[in-house]
Amino acid sequence: MTTFSVAQEGPLNALALNSTNTQVVIGGRNVFKVYQIEEDKFREICNLRTLKHLNLNFSCNDITWSPSDDHYVATAATNGHVCVWNLTKMGRAMQEQDYQDHKRTVNKVKFHATEPFKLISGSQDGTMRYFDIRMKNAVSVFYSNTESVRDVQFCPHNSYVFSAVSENGSVQLWDVRKPDKSQHQFTAHSGPVFACDWHPEATWLATASRDKTIKVWEMTGRPTLEYTIHTIASIGYVKWRPSHKYQLASCALVIDCSINIWDVRRPYIPFASFNEHRDIASGVAWRGDPNIFLSSGRDNVLYQHSFSDAQKPASKANPQGITLNTKGEVVYSKKVNNTITSTNSSSQNSLSKAVGLMRKISTSQPIDAFHLAWSRTYNFNPNNVEEQESSIFIKLAKSYILHGRSVSELCDHNSAVATQFGKNDIAVTWKIVKTMYGEEFVQNSMNNPKQEEGSCSALEIPDEQKSKGAETPAAQFSGGDEETENEDQVDNAFPNYLNVRNGCLPRGDFFFGENELDVELDGAPIFMDYYQYGYRMNPTPSEQIDWTVPNEAFPIRHEILDRSPPPEQFPDHLHTINLREEQSVQVKVDDQLPGMLVNVKQCSKPSWDPSPIVIQTLHHYATLGDIQTVACILLVLGESRKYLAGLSENLQEHWLLGYIELLSKYRLWNISNQVIKLAWLPSVSQLNQMSTTMNTNCGKCMKPLQRVGWLCDRCHTSENALCSICHQVVRGLYVWCQGCSHGGHIGHLKQWLAQKRVCPTGCGHMCEYIDN
Amino acid sequence: MFECQEISAEHKDLIHDVSYDYYGDRIATCSSDQYVKVWDRNKEGKWTLTSSWKAHSASVWKVTWANPEFGQVLATCSFDRTVAVWEETVGDTPGPGKRGQRHWVRRTNLVDSRTSVTDVKFGPKAQGLQLATCSAEGIIRIYEAPDVMNLSQWTLQHEVQCKLPLSCLSWNPSPNRSHPSMIAVGSDEPHTTPGGKVFIYEYSENSRKWNKLETLNITEPVHDVAFSPNLGRVFHILGVATNNVRIINLTPVEDSQLSGLTKLEIETAAQFDDHNSTVWRVCWNVNGAVLCSTGDDGCARMFRILSKTSWKPEGVLKGEGNQVPTAVEAAHGATQHIPQGSPVGSIASQTARYIKLGSISQPSREPWY
Repeated sequence: MTTFSVAQEGPLNALALNSTNTQVVIGGRNVFKVYQIEEDKFREICNLRTLKHLNLNFSCNDITWSPSDDHYVATAATNGHVCVWNLTKMGRAMQEQDYQDHKRTVNKVKFHATEPFKLISGSQDGTMRYFDIRMKNAVSVFYSNTESVRDVQFCPHNSYVFSAVSENGSVQLWDVRKPDKSQHQFTAHSGPVFACDWHPEATWLATASRDKTIKVWEMTGRPTLEYTIHTIASIGYVKWRPSHKYQLASCALVIDCSINIWDVRRPYIPFASFNEHRDIASGVAWRGDPNIFLSSGRDNVLYQHSFSDAQKPASKANPQGITLNTKGEVVYSKKVNNTITSTNSSSQNSLSKAVGLMRKISTSQPIDAFHLAWSRTYNFNPNNVEEQESSIFIKLAKSYILHGRSVSELCDHNSAVATQFGKNDIAVTWKIVKTMYGEEFVQNSMNNPKQEEGSCSALEIPDEQKSKGAETPAAQFSGGDEETENEDQVDNAFPNYLNVRNGCLPRGDFFFGENELDVELDGAPIFMDYYQYGYRMNPTPSEQIDWTVPNEAFPIRHEILDRSPPPEQFPDHLHTINLREEQSVQVKVDDQLPGMLVNVKQCSKPSWDPSPIVIQTLHHYATLGDIQTVACILLVLGESRKYLAGLSENLQEHWLLGYIELLSKYRLWNISNQVIKLAWLPSVSQLNQMSTTMNTNCGKCMKPLQRVGWLCDRCHTSENALCSICHQVVRGLYVWCQGCSHGGHIGHLKQWLAQKRVCPTGCGHMCEYIDN
Repeated sequence: MFECQEISAEHKDLIHDVSYDYYGDRIATCSSDQYVKVWDRNKEGKWTLTSSWKAHSASVWKVTWANPEFGQVLATCSFDRTVAVWEETVGDTPGPGKRGQRHWVRRTNLVDSRTSVTDVKFGPKAQGLQLATCSAEGIIRIYEAPDVMNLSQWTLQHEVQCKLPLSCLSWNPSPNRSHPSMIAVGSDEPHTTPGGKVFIYEYSENSRKWNKLETLNITEPVHDVAFSPNLGRVFHILGVATNNVRIINLTPVEDSQLSGLTKLEIETAAQFDDHNSTVWRVCWNVNGAVLCSTGDDGCARMFRILSKTSWKPEGVLKGEGNQVPTAVEAAHGATQHIPQGSPVGSIASQTARYIKLGSISQPSREPWY
């Protein structure tokens, strides 16, 4: 039961087994041999081409071995002869008959399965001839009325009937007794039919064609098409597999060197595939056993194949597919496991429905699930849409403010936004960013040696605001307002900013404050808090300085110096805060003395740099895939990015591009464009300056407008580019119909097309406005 | 919780691949029945078939969308040894009120392979329109459309020979300019071979060749590989579907600038045997934080990143429509913004295929885009 082979001198055209399946004869242009098939090898018995006087009779297109008399082999020779060979004789006497009836190449010879000495041939000359090998001449001639006959096969169910297929795509059924007219003729394929084979039990005929299909016909009565197998190449040979009702073997004529075994009920993928041949296979012969067959190939090799060495393409085929989209939805399709579904009564219906697609299931067939393969596809949609990561992403993207205010303000706002959408860890990160890079801090310790004043003013904002109104803070933060924000916005922004502070300051302020800070200030009346703070700070400025400086500056630094937990551990707020408190207490104890002694010097020249930790934080979020936080922090930092030494431009670009990519996946074009606009890297900021040219046509002559502006070269006027409705020059968004080139103000046209379909200019074009 | 809707795809054989488009608004499916189908949502949010066509003359293994910047473009690969690129066109009959009929046109057929083409993927957008294919004969082919407006002209740029039959392929999508183009391929060769079955190739601008960078030490047959979307990581994550799910970090090492070849530090970040059977597919969510895998146990399982080297199972999607929260998830439920709820055993009945579990968002709420 193994695969073995023997190489020949030339390509093989055909092979035939003897009645006991122990010997094989092979033939080709330069090969004509008989082999004994042994356990693991072929043993040559006879080489008919060793004779002298070789002629074309020794070059065969096809071979058949008499099933009733092991001595006789017949060949179809390329010179149009049909030769009968007696293997028991020697020398020239071997060739018992040499029928020269055909005018052209003989494509096929076949011994009758039950009638001894009876032989049929089919030729390129369009005729079939029936021989009795005891007689010198053909018994009868059948004219197919086609150009050439490619295959003839006796029907195993009716000893008088044989089928013939021809190059015009037709199949004919003949009765050997009635050579004058075929019994049936029908067009089976849209191309030449190269082979046919009768099913050994059923009344099926398989036909194979250049049209890349194998078709199975029910031949009782009027032939009907039962199955169609689509193959990747023209099929030159087809043979039913013994004792497997639905299986047949096929060989391609071109491209595909493998021998495929198909289950006709699953006509899409071979049940098994044998890929040993290096060139196309020309013939297949089953050795009685359905698991062993021989094949001849144009690669000069004769093979015995065993099913134990078969490739099963279907088993390698991936039975499942899955895909995720931006909204967290999943589409999952999987092969249905038939053993499970058949026991599951609720799925029974759907199974039988699917089975209905595969026609004609034999219930007596042993369980063979190969052909029952089908898939179910599921779409999983997260049903609490609002809590989905994706929708939070979108909400954050829409709510974050990335520019136009001071870093502190932006951080506060964004922190509040993050809190609002349940992203507490991110909120805290914003707070920390604020603490480190907010104007207050930068003024305090990064640049400004007069940190006391800075810190005071920062801390006093709420207080001053209460007493003096909005002027001071607005003025203070005007540094960030380089964009064209008008007064209204600033005014609006301020209360906003205050609210933000209200919501979040207690927690953030804790860094500035003392150990005993109460976490539960969160929702408390904030102004009261500020009163408290202010109350504590303001009345005694001298005391305030004493109190503020060491406690403000030191714990922050040391806390981080001491590897305070990076933000990823923040979800556990209470714990973190406790830790902080402990640390700050500890730090305080450690540093109290030097702090008191050299406090100004310490503050003015910070001994540490928060950047590595911030970079680490950004890396952390990037690792988690939260590129939104990373990119937004970078954007908000603005000029302070210069402190993030060691962050390569490539990586910054990567982060921005990552965020832009994500925004575009959610179709958040405006935000994406804002990011591009704010980008400080030329490679990113240039993204929205590419492919910005839109060409439109002159509304009158349809000539493309190629100049700057609306001037048409042909009409020498720009009149036709005015808004079709108000006849004014359009500044800003111009919309036009690509069909008739007329357009104008988007609002006007939207309004017009909401009611009418015709172009407002009266050109008669049916414009369509699709509003996404 | 997830609500489960069965899509009756009505493919006549196994579905081998499903694929969302860039925005997640369309689905393409491909099957052994040689057909490719494209689905869109109708107004009720139900998936409806928009197009269906016989794409190949044998099983269609994979279907993949190009970036929409290049149009509505699909690529398919098949057992018939070819790769096809399809473009959706709208017929030129824009009458009032009705759109032109959409149909998919085969723009090209790439016939270089002599064996089944097992995977096809479009390259990252930044590199233009590139297509990588891998085949059972063990060859990776990189094609490029020099003119992105002309999808019918593709040139075979590179042919890279691997020794093993290949089953899957993935581009590294990183937009970082310091990361050269990278492809991972996997082999489903059934026999255990020494060396490994996942190969990492990198394109060298200097030599203009694809060079093998690494072989991952996975000896079991590999059915799928998928690079995580890299929106900002300095390392790459590769999901591998083999006899289990593996998550592998590939960290470029800086100091090898002299040789011109980057070196990768390889580290298995996580390995999950939850499927307890063959794992067929892995795929990533949009930001690369969640890996989804499917296996012969009939479940889709999700895993979430906690840190560079730690991952946790997040949920299980059963084909019948319920998500079973794992113990871990339940424990971490408070901090996770992932769907929660008790497992609801839904019955796949013939009449009620559409199973609602819990209420959906109110219609008054604003859409996401």
